[in-house]
Amino acid sequence: MNSIATLTQDIKQMMVENLMLQSSASEIGDDQALFGPGSLGLDSVDALQLVVALDKKYGLKIPDPDTARQVLQSVKTMTDSVAAHLNPPSL
Amino acid sequence: MSLRVVFITGANGGLGQAIARAFLAESPDNFVWLAVHSRRDRADELARSAPDRCRCLSLDVVSREAWQQAVAEMLGVHARLDVLVNNAGIHEDALLGTMPAGSWDRVLATNLDSVFHGCQAVLPTMISQRSGRIVNLSSLSALLAPAGQTNYAAAKAGVLALTQSLAKEVARIGITVNAICPGYIETDALAQMGEPERKAIQARVPMRRLGRPAEVAAAVRFLACPEAGYITGSMLKIDGGIL
Repeated sequence: MNSIATLTQDIKQMMVENLMLQSSASEIGDDQALFGPGSLGLDSVDALQLVVALDKKYGLKIPDPDTARQVLQSVKTMTDSVAAHLNPPSL
Repeated sequence: MSLRVVFITGANGGLGQAIARAFLAESPDNFVWLAVHSRRDRADELARSAPDRCRCLSLDVVSREAWQQAVAEMLGVHARLDVLVNNAGIHEDALLGTMPAGSWDRVLATNLDSVFHGCQAVLPTMISQRSGRIVNLSSLSALLAPAGQTNYAAAKAGVLALTQSLAKEVARIGITVNAICPGYIETDALAQMGEPERKAIQARVPMRRLGRPAEVAAAVRFLACPEAGYITGSMLKIDGGIL
């Protein structure tokens, strides 16, 4: 399993534990929307918990609502943001 | 019981002191942070009396940055926070028609903005812990809205609304948020009154006496205790039966 796949699984597990989801990590799609119709069904309180959890677990700061909307679209967008934060592209 | 970390604002005043002493008396495992601003003599004395369980820190409650620094200082020592008591407050009574704008601003900032900043500063920690107790000191003035207190009554009513709204937001994370509405309590402000004025106030109280700071502190301690885990968004008035 490569590091992105591991990170994706870790983030899904973090979501299940922090949000007390009824579904398991394996049932969450990488590209599945987190909010809105046809989504995982998260709400703004879940978003707040994810912002805190991403900061605590990975040190990823989400400073404003606009950034939160971008980062918290799906597991994939969260994974990409965390990966970019942990391994910033070299100039 | 394991370590419980308690953070109290306005800790140099009569109520703040009583609340701090109540938590110190509750359990030897409680550690109490005393947040103070312009005056700190009594808080320093209390901290000296229990140096292993009590510490003072400076905090201007109207400053978001000061809150962030204070919480960071506390987390640097304990890495957790179990109880926040937003107790800091001021009066600047005047009829609205002649109230200086500065009085409105200061009273709203110190009594209401401070609660917003405080809650926002501690929420990430309490969310991470999935537990926490927030107790906000409102006032009977929020419910009676007496003449001459448009600023104070509005601020304290705001505290009640904030309490109820925030309680709903964080209920499922294991954080409770409640408010206390003290009536006439034997604090510094009332101690300065003359005897005739004091008797007039007592006559308005069905119990015919003023409340004791320790009686308010006992209610704060109860709302913050583990057994009060299903109480949130509530308002407890401590007024000798006025309302």
